[in-house]
Amino acid sequence: MAFQIILNVMLAFVWMFLSSNYTATGFIIGFILGIVLLVIMRRFFTTRLYVYRIWAIIKLTLLFLKELVLANIQVLRVVLKPKLDMQPAFFAYPTVLTQEWEITLLSSLITLTPGTVVVHVSDDAKTLYVHAIDMSDVDEAITAIRDSFEKAILEVSKS
Amino acid sequence: MKINDVILRTVTKTVVFIILTLGIYLFFAGHHAPGGGFIGGLVLASGIVLLYLAYDIETVHKGMPFDFKKVAALGVLLATGTAIGSLFFDAPFLTQTHSYINVPIFGKMGFSTVTIFEAGVALTVVGVVVTIILSISEDE
Repeated sequence: MAFQIILNVMLAFVWMFLSSNYTATGFIIGFILGIVLLVIMRRFFTTRLYVYRIWAIIKLTLLFLKELVLANIQVLRVVLKPKLDMQPAFFAYPTVLTQEWEITLLSSLITLTPGTVVVHVSDDAKTLYVHAIDMSDVDEAITAIRDSFEKAILEVSKS
Repeated sequence: MKINDVILRTVTKTVVFIILTLGIYLFFAGHHAPGGGFIGGLVLASGIVLLYLAYDIETVHKGMPFDFKKVAALGVLLATGTAIGSLFFDAPFLTQTHSYINVPIFGKMGFSTVTIFEAGVALTVVGVVVTIILSISEDE
């Protein structure tokens, strides 16, 4: 991925030198032409095009913003309820992510959405211990995290 | 009991670069804007201290093999060196000078010997702060 980005920037510079147009406009034109060339030559790379990965990062950001709003409304309902019938609980979340930055990102996303806090990462980094403010069904919460955040992070880190 | 601090270490790897960049910016902004050698040195030292918090001392020493007492001494030497240098030009002690030099690509840039003096201050602050933190953290 990093190699493809550097190659794209170098192609943009080559375009600037060939057209002797040393402005930001020339750089952007060269960069777009470089993307087109990379798409044409995509079969020769061992990894997938970096454009897909950037698209996955954008999707993960939008998903996080959506979850943030929804979870805030849920916590607001818990707080404003006249009856105190919430069910706080700890549960273990078995994660399939392996790399350090993936685990950090998943923990941060779970913590930043209100209602759930990651309190501990197990020593073999295979289990996250999560505290939830109001939870009736453990399996439901686990599948919710798995289908939303973990899938999006795996989409980003797929080579 | 050793807990798994994977989140602290991963965040430190990213954040240390931001802190060091901010420190260098503050150091160079000191001439016309808030900042300068002292606060720049403090921010740089805080980045190094964050590394010591996330990793153990041996790992950081492998990456930064400086003796921080010598760094502090070098800083004082630089600061007093600019002060003594003014004596060679028949100027009073601690006189600083500045001039504009034409650099080939960047055009006219202002250079000042105060920058060297401030670099000495920053190095002294980094050396002293890290030496203090390391001295009180070692369990003999």
